[in-house]
Amino acid sequence: MSVELWIALLAGALGTYLIRLLPLLWMQRRLRQTREREGSESMPAWLAVLGPMMIAAVLGVSLVPRVPDTAGWVATLVGLIATLLTWRRTRSLGLPVIAGVATFGAVIVAVRLVLG
Amino acid sequence: MTSPRSETSTNATHGPPGVLRGIREAIPLLGGYIPVAVSFGLVSVQAGFGVLETLAISTLIYAGASQFLFVGMVASGAPLWLVVAMTLLINLRHVVYAPNLAAWLTPSRWWPWLMHGLTDQVFALAHTRLPQLPERQRVGWFLGAALLAWLSWIAGSLLGAVAGEWLTARWPLLGEVMPFALPALFLVLVVPRFTSPRWALALTVCVAAALAFTLNGLANVGIPLAAGLGAFCFFTLRSPRLPGRSR
Repeated sequence: MSVELWIALLAGALGTYLIRLLPLLWMQRRLRQTREREGSESMPAWLAVLGPMMIAAVLGVSLVPRVPDTAGWVATLVGLIATLLTWRRTRSLGLPVIAGVATFGAVIVAVRLVLG
Repeated sequence: MTSPRSETSTNATHGPPGVLRGIREAIPLLGGYIPVAVSFGLVSVQAGFGVLETLAISTLIYAGASQFLFVGMVASGAPLWLVVAMTLLINLRHVVYAPNLAAWLTPSRWWPWLMHGLTDQVFALAHTRLPQLPERQRVGWFLGAALLAWLSWIAGSLLGAVAGEWLTARWPLLGEVMPFALPALFLVLVVPRFTSPRWALALTVCVAAALAFTLNGLANVGIPLAAGLGAFCFFTLRSPRLPGRSR
């Protein structure tokens, strides 16, 4: 890899880090100022709503199966239902994921067997 | 795994230390990280990068989609300034992550360094778990979760660069099934937020929009756009007819 390419890599890495870091420093400063002024911290309403929306958006993006054929989509749907049902019973993070992945895999294999 | 609802009060005195808890709770991320990282390692080597260079990209940039773009654009001979600009543009969505966590971050010099590990997935997990953890465990929890995710990404890239072709030929189904851990995890993180019709509608619109963007090849730009659309729905749904106006 040439020196120019290493510089490009480092610039991309530093820029990505700053994109993650600088908003934190800005927000921490803002929270400090609000606390000093009003006695309690407050986050802008739009930001408090945007957080859960970003997670929902990441969920939407991740829903597309790696192989988006019939088996992939059916398995995604059934896998999500299995995840949801397990979450309702256990209210935990890990077990629903395990149940979802296992169901997803089983449905992929089953649908492909049926469809030939 | 732990129960987000019931443990808040008991964690202060019981349960594993923050680092171990973070590592344990980030394990579901591996199902999504490792297969994608293996793919990246393979693509990077095929694009002409060496194993060490591939590892450097995964270690330093550490942002999946932009890494694929980086190696793809370099391999196609694009100008380097454009490669850097596009890498940063794709990662620009991360700009809203840290401010959303700031209120739960305890005073510590570690936090600025830990922001390197603030990926989409780690943010989603941290946004749910940090408020539920005792303050003294938060830095450790984030360190454990972010470190496991980062190391698994680097290890997956190494595996892909060294043996990606053999692995994908040997176990194609595994690479197809394991990434489902991510939507399953995100579903578990999103569902508890369906606390009112207003939230439910806005979140559903957001998920559907992100899915539609992805199906049209706009996954990365789709995340901030769909989130913006969901937030727009949330703020426009102030009709007095709707119950559950609280956030």
